[in-house]
Amino acid sequence: MENEYAKMEQLRDILALHGPELALGLIILIVGLYLAKFLTKYVRIGIQKLTSNTNVISIVSNTFYILFLFFVIMSAATEVGFQAKIIFRFLIVVSLVAIGIIILFRPYIPSLPFKVGNTVKVGDLLGKVEATTFLNTRLKTFDGKTVFVPNRQILDDIVINYHFTKTRRIKVDVQVRYDQDILQVKRLMESIMIADPRVKKTPRPVVYTLALEDSWVKMGGRCWVDNAKFWFTRCDLIEKVKYGFDNEGIRFAFPQVDVHHHDSEEMIEFPEEESFS
Amino acid sequence: MKIGQALKVIDEGWVRKRKGFRVHYQRKIGGQVETEYTPGVEDAALDSDVAAWRTAWKLQQATLEENTEFGEGRTINIYVVDDEGNPIPYYKTNEFKVYNQSPTEGDADA
Repeated sequence: MENEYAKMEQLRDILALHGPELALGLIILIVGLYLAKFLTKYVRIGIQKLTSNTNVISIVSNTFYILFLFFVIMSAATEVGFQAKIIFRFLIVVSLVAIGIIILFRPYIPSLPFKVGNTVKVGDLLGKVEATTFLNTRLKTFDGKTVFVPNRQILDDIVINYHFTKTRRIKVDVQVRYDQDILQVKRLMESIMIADPRVKKTPRPVVYTLALEDSWVKMGGRCWVDNAKFWFTRCDLIEKVKYGFDNEGIRFAFPQVDVHHHDSEEMIEFPEEESFS
Repeated sequence: MKIGQALKVIDEGWVRKRKGFRVHYQRKIGGQVETEYTPGVEDAALDSDVAAWRTAWKLQQATLEENTEFGEGRTINIYVVDDEGNPIPYYKTNEFKVYNQSPTEGDADA
């Protein structure tokens, strides 16, 4: 009990002696942290006006944040009574150690297979990556929903990154009746694809006869377009194929069943059922 | 002839790949018939004829008038042209189509 009382006395003496400096140091630290976040936001906005490169924006704003934080920590520590030179050397050593650890272990740290701004599909979720943090990724879906996906789930799941390749292949599959001229279908679909300015010349658009199925002949048109124009081009091509078929009298197929009807005067005799009585 | 050359001949002769589309229309401003395009000739053309025909239809819907006389400010002869200024067939019917068709003096396109 006396020991604790002595410790409290000691603490009271320290606070009485250094209290104002400690309080001021703490205030400088807290205000400095808020100021660092606030100013970094405006630095980021300013850099975004100068360049659209997300890497440059990220590097410059993060560097500003770290340097400002250094300054705040040094000011707070100096106010408390530490020597500025010692604090500066300590922060440099800590930074170098952190950089060294990151460089050493970076190959072993799982990284997300996309960057901010990429359009990705994670599981059933399709959207644009708005931000990534240490724990989760913020995706905005095309119907306006904002989804926070845990990074662990992303690393365990199959991810499709639509930005990895510049071009994408469009599939236009149709089913036509067996009595239709498939050469006419091929010519029409190929000319529709070739005529579209968004469709790449190489690889050349091609129409395949994919299968002879129960109710139809399945035809498949394939062509390549730029990633950014995939969706609209696909929709336009489907629309033009539909109207092109209508104009040329090509008929689409629908599921159908052949019914064979026999005209017979003879009665069909069914065997008598067994009695179990 | 190598296959590459043959394909080039086919590309140039069989189906012409247009480079862009614009909506052509005419308006009477100050007694003069003015021909205009959307997007403008200095701007990049639309890369979809479906989008261009849709724009033409909307322009027609927005400028419908009961009076069939070609009066001041009225928009007529709305259709889609390619990058060379040639009218293109409407993809739905495969025939040339003109919205708000109206003859103008000395206008061969009308």
